[in-house]
Amino acid sequence: MRFTLCKVELTYGVVAATHGALAVLVGGLALAVVATAARAQEAPVALVGARIHTAAGPAIENGTIVFADGVIAAVGAGVAPPAGAEVVDVSGMVIMPGMLDNHSHIGADSRDLNEFPVRFGPQHRIRDVLSPDDDFWYGAVKGGVTTVITGPGSGEVSSGQAIVVKTWGPTIEERIVKERGGLKIAMGRKRPDQSPTTSMAVTAMLRAKFIEAQEYQAKWDAWEEGGQEGPAPPRDLGMEAVVRVLTGEDRIRAHVHQAHDILAIIRLSQEFDFSLAIHHSTEAYKVADDIAEAGIDVVGMPLFTRIALADEVMATGTLMNEMGVRFTFHTDDPVVGSKWQRGNAGLGIRYGMTEQDALEAVTINPAAIAGVEDRVGSLEVGKDADIVVLNGTWYEVSTLVTRVYVDGMLAYDREGEGP
Amino acid sequence: MSGQKKRPVTQAVGACMVGWVGGGARIGAIGVAAVAMAAVQGAGADVQAQTVALTGGLVYPISSEPVEGGTVLMVEGRIAAVGADVDIPAGAEVVDVSGSVVMPGIIDAMSYYGIAGEDMNEVPNPLTPELRIIEAFAPFGTFGSGAAGEIRVRELLSGGVTATYIGPGDATVVGGQGAVVKTAGARFDDLIVRAPAAIDITLGGRPASTYRDQSRSPSTRMAVVAQLRDLLVKAQEWTAGREGGSEAGEAAAGPRNLGMEALARMLAGEIPARVQANATRDIRVAIELAEEFGFELVIDGAAGAHQMAGELADRGIPVILGPISHPYISGEEIPDAGEYGGVDERNVLWLNEAGVHVSLASFSRGFGRFGPGVAGQWLLIDASIARGHGMSEADVLRAVTLSPAEALGVADRMGSLEAGKDADVVVFDGDPLSIRTWATRVYVGGSLVYERED
Repeated sequence: MRFTLCKVELTYGVVAATHGALAVLVGGLALAVVATAARAQEAPVALVGARIHTAAGPAIENGTIVFADGVIAAVGAGVAPPAGAEVVDVSGMVIMPGMLDNHSHIGADSRDLNEFPVRFGPQHRIRDVLSPDDDFWYGAVKGGVTTVITGPGSGEVSSGQAIVVKTWGPTIEERIVKERGGLKIAMGRKRPDQSPTTSMAVTAMLRAKFIEAQEYQAKWDAWEEGGQEGPAPPRDLGMEAVVRVLTGEDRIRAHVHQAHDILAIIRLSQEFDFSLAIHHSTEAYKVADDIAEAGIDVVGMPLFTRIALADEVMATGTLMNEMGVRFTFHTDDPVVGSKWQRGNAGLGIRYGMTEQDALEAVTINPAAIAGVEDRVGSLEVGKDADIVVLNGTWYEVSTLVTRVYVDGMLAYDREGEGP
Repeated sequence: MSGQKKRPVTQAVGACMVGWVGGGARIGAIGVAAVAMAAVQGAGADVQAQTVALTGGLVYPISSEPVEGGTVLMVEGRIAAVGADVDIPAGAEVVDVSGSVVMPGIIDAMSYYGIAGEDMNEVPNPLTPELRIIEAFAPFGTFGSGAAGEIRVRELLSGGVTATYIGPGDATVVGGQGAVVKTAGARFDDLIVRAPAAIDITLGGRPASTYRDQSRSPSTRMAVVAQLRDLLVKAQEWTAGREGGSEAGEAAAGPRNLGMEALARMLAGEIPARVQANATRDIRVAIELAEEFGFELVIDGAAGAHQMAGELADRGIPVILGPISHPYISGEEIPDAGEYGGVDERNVLWLNEAGVHVSLASFSRGFGRFGPGVAGQWLLIDASIARGHGMSEADVLRAVTLSPAEALGVADRMGSLEAGKDADVVVFDGDPLSIRTWATRVYVGGSLVYERED
């Protein structure tokens, strides 16, 4: 973590040098001190007087949230801060849960995202290329995104395994919330230099690989059932990853834009009985009934790229909520910086989502889609103290994030940063 | 223009009722009414119909203080009056816009609206001042998916954008002549506001990388500047020869040279140089060249501009900034993004505080196969972000209206609600800086060209 903070100070150093805002630099240093201190003393903290969006119920006016040892101890309107707590007056402010971003490439060098020559590489792990030294982590923290599911790219049929990780904390290892963040596959046409290139062939390859994984597992099962006699079957790390999907230990995160490819991956999920979330989901609106019936999750387009998407795509969240489909937005960082996940929600509201649905779409829904809703995604007693304080309506882009706590530690404090 | 009996041309603009496919799943459709747009030069009865009074709204003239419950009167395509006490002529169409905000049309100071990707850069030649963007401008062409000509117009109008600068791409050094166009009009010629509006030039890593990839010159910043300087010297000599007025002078200048003629207009101060420069060193070069050759300079891109805000302010150089919320500032493909430090979304705020003339622009460009990137319809999002960081409401709204109009040299016609200017007017259903707010009515040249029903 110290490494990242150094980077942050450097960035601010440029600003300070050109604007004479020396306080900025000091702010950066103070941040480092706070981080170490908070971890050491672990005194309870009470944020008092804000409008609190818990994502687990209606907003609480003039609420208090108490956390200690990195975990939320109390949240409500009539909560009294415990004795010895550090009380922070946040009256007039707004509090929301630390947001999640379900589809991101944050922390990895873009050159490390796609092993193009290997068309099917489920053995690749994003975890092995995550760097704590990436400005975008801090961008995410500043934007109120405290947990991301970061993963490899979309150039291959399978590019490998994603991971659920906090955006701030002492080390990458300590930041990991869940190692199994989903096995990435990418539907649709591929580069023409190597088979498969067509959507048909991509789906055919996937089907073959799932069958191969069934057979691979059968070999191991037979060996186990035979009392482990003779040499064990040779291990195949890629097949192990696919088997985890087939046994429900992990799920498929499918990059898919076009409607026919959405239908194809739904067919595969039913044929091989695996858990599925579709990502990008550009044409999900065209097959909304199929999606709802299949009970899969939808990770919708990063609207805040502000590319010219059809109104139907912009309104995907509205439609999915109406259809009872679990829905979230993603930033695809670095396509959009993770810090603008809030902007996705704002645009979702613009296109018809209710404020509560949009809030859940960037908090508890992505947590549930990633299978980490027991720890993050809402402000409830016992959950991680990942808390965002803002100076206005949470979904407006003119609203600033002023404080971010991750695991109860103050990860970002706008005070001292200057305008 | 002899025919007095011009027939009003009617054209459906923005016809798009959004329906929902998918097994009967329907949500509240986002309805955009098809609006008939009549030519401004209509016969008498039509002219009468062109008298429209928007009443009761919160009016932001931009050039003056907001007026609550104000009236904006549009007559024959122009703004006739703005204020709290405006006499509405008999027979005028009165539109009650109480509860709404009325503003001048948003102006996107840099976009590639209507320009196909393959038409943006004449790569084989790094120096092409003779090229005119207007000849590649296809506002009604197909673009992306669907009936894109109309969609494209509607897309900008839905964000309240009524005019934009369009220019050649940034892969070469001197791309050609940019233009200012409107986003709606009865005929192509009606769209053209100013052409040429500038000579479009790019400094820095982008053109250098174009030619480095081809193992030819200019493949470094040095060579980019040297070739540009050489071209400007030739233009000086050419101009001097022409201005000699004598046969000897003309003989010295040689036959007509359309590129030189365009540069001569720039050197004579008729049109500015629009220089895309992001790194401070590139901005500095642009300033030096402007001094050396005496041309008017507008900087665009300007990702690192805040690091030399004082100098830009002192010299009165307008700056046009890319989308401030985007990690790469102006679209996804600035190859030299890693070459300058200090990229920060507060750039606009700091420049504004230093007294720099700033505009916000979309720099829209193709985003892979998905379509145009960072479209101008979302300019107010950037304004909102700047507002959040502390720039005043008046200043951020100016940065997407009157300031771009001034930087583009069209402030006599647009950018504010003032009598005599074109009636390019937008009605918003709420705070223009809220992400929830929609443009509900857009007038271009006094004609209602977009209407959102909800």
